[in-house]
Amino acid sequence: MSKVVIDSMAMQRALTRITYEIIERNKGINNLVLVGIKTRGVYLAKRIQNRLEQLENTSVPIVELDVTKYRDDNKDKEKTNNQVAFSENNIDINNQNIVLIDDVLYTGRTVRAALGAINELGRPNRISLAVLIDRGHRELPIRADFVGKNIPSSQKEKIQVLVNEIDGKDVVEIE
Amino acid sequence: MKKRYLILEDGTSFEGVSFGSDATKTGELIITSNINGYQETITNPIYHNQIVAFSQSSIGNIGINRKNYESIFSSIQGVVVNEYTDISINHLKKLSLGTFLKQREIPGIEGIDTRQLMKHINKNGVMKASIVDVNDEHAFNQLNATVLNNQQIQTVAINKPYLIPGSGKTIIVLDFGLKEGILRQLSKRNCNIVVLPWNSAYQDIINLDPEGIVLSTGPGNPLEVNEEVLKTIKLIQTKIPLFAMGLGHELFALANGAEIIKLGIGHHGSNHPIKKIITNQIIYANQSQDFAVKNNSTDLKNLITTHIDLINGTVQGLRHREYPAFTVQFSPDGAAGPNDSADIFDEFLESINSKRGQ
Repeated sequence: MSKVVIDSMAMQRALTRITYEIIERNKGINNLVLVGIKTRGVYLAKRIQNRLEQLENTSVPIVELDVTKYRDDNKDKEKTNNQVAFSENNIDINNQNIVLIDDVLYTGRTVRAALGAINELGRPNRISLAVLIDRGHRELPIRADFVGKNIPSSQKEKIQVLVNEIDGKDVVEIE
Repeated sequence: MKKRYLILEDGTSFEGVSFGSDATKTGELIITSNINGYQETITNPIYHNQIVAFSQSSIGNIGINRKNYESIFSSIQGVVVNEYTDISINHLKKLSLGTFLKQREIPGIEGIDTRQLMKHINKNGVMKASIVDVNDEHAFNQLNATVLNNQQIQTVAINKPYLIPGSGKTIIVLDFGLKEGILRQLSKRNCNIVVLPWNSAYQDIINLDPEGIVLSTGPGNPLEVNEEVLKTIKLIQTKIPLFAMGLGHELFALANGAEIIKLGIGHHGSNHPIKKIITNQIIYANQSQDFAVKNNSTDLKNLITTHIDLINGTVQGLRHREYPAFTVQFSPDGAAGPNDSADIFDEFLESINSKRGQ
């Protein structure tokens, strides 16, 4: 039995609030780069980008990131070695303020992998982390700066974020 | 069926028939285009000392019921309708509108072409009006000589704090003449609500250690509100998540350096589409405004415009760039009016959670 913990309205609201909080803490949108972690993180990043553009009439650059190669549980290193992590390689992230965006923050290992990937690309001024759900159970010293909703969960439970762009609906379910 | 008159400051006179009380009263005439929710409208303290006309053709058909009061007292000066009806099958109806007005000594007048009246006001601007027995020169002289009280907030807002206990977040509501809808929305969300007088000092507010602060709606001219209130708002927004509506929104804007203008034609009703800029959504909400934040007067370093009225272009929402503080010009509590924006209260409580998580 899956239970809805965030419906479509609440998801919209969370993304709206995170967008405003990004403006608050970044003191505007100068030098901002959004990095969406594949798959769902990219769609959330695009929605935040849309919202920033609506408010400020400026398009903030967005980069898609596939962290497979950088994962500490990546067993097939040879196969993934030639994979391209970033959707755009010529973007200059030096001295930029990066907001890393993902759907669920759990062990923190995905985020660590993302930090590794960004590290290879340059030296940003600051990296902050925005997630729709923080479900706890960290295995690394990582925390989010912008959280849609904290959902304390059991490790036996499964949390699933669905987004309209690929899943046909906006909802977060727990089962 | 007593014949009476609605007379306007510019010399215009409308003939109608009395219902409710037979008192003679004077006030600023405002016209609401709301189709429903007359009980909420006439008990909303925002209309303190005003005569309210309804452009909706028939008013009174659901009586007065225990659930739709927006304040215990009603301090409007008169009700103007096209047709007063007292045939109701509403199961909550205990009282007819006419009896209610009689009990409160508020005059009502029916048989006025309120749409014509609205056109007249929209063309000639807001003005004083009286509901009187005879429309002679003396009545007009009296009307013109009447100086309307500008102590609206002082009259309708509380001057002693009270608590509405709840098991959730502790929220302070600064009462500028609030409508109950605001408290109802917070109660629904289990808030522990402390209602404080509008002129409470900064330190008294902070001493109560609230998790959030709400600046309520209220009557009157924001430019006549004591300077001290603006200073309090300016300090408090840096400490506690803030949400404001109506008059509260106008004061928040003033505190942050924006300009307030009096609208030539105020807007009362819920027929204006409002654009929520961040998501490009259109919402409808009950608006009762005679003042507005002047467009482009907001210091862009301080404030973001978040909502805009698509009919008259007025600013309908603001947000501070540095602090979790946001405001709307309209009434999001849906009484009367659409519930499109009621989840703004959830947004407020979520911003408190977020601030706490930092």
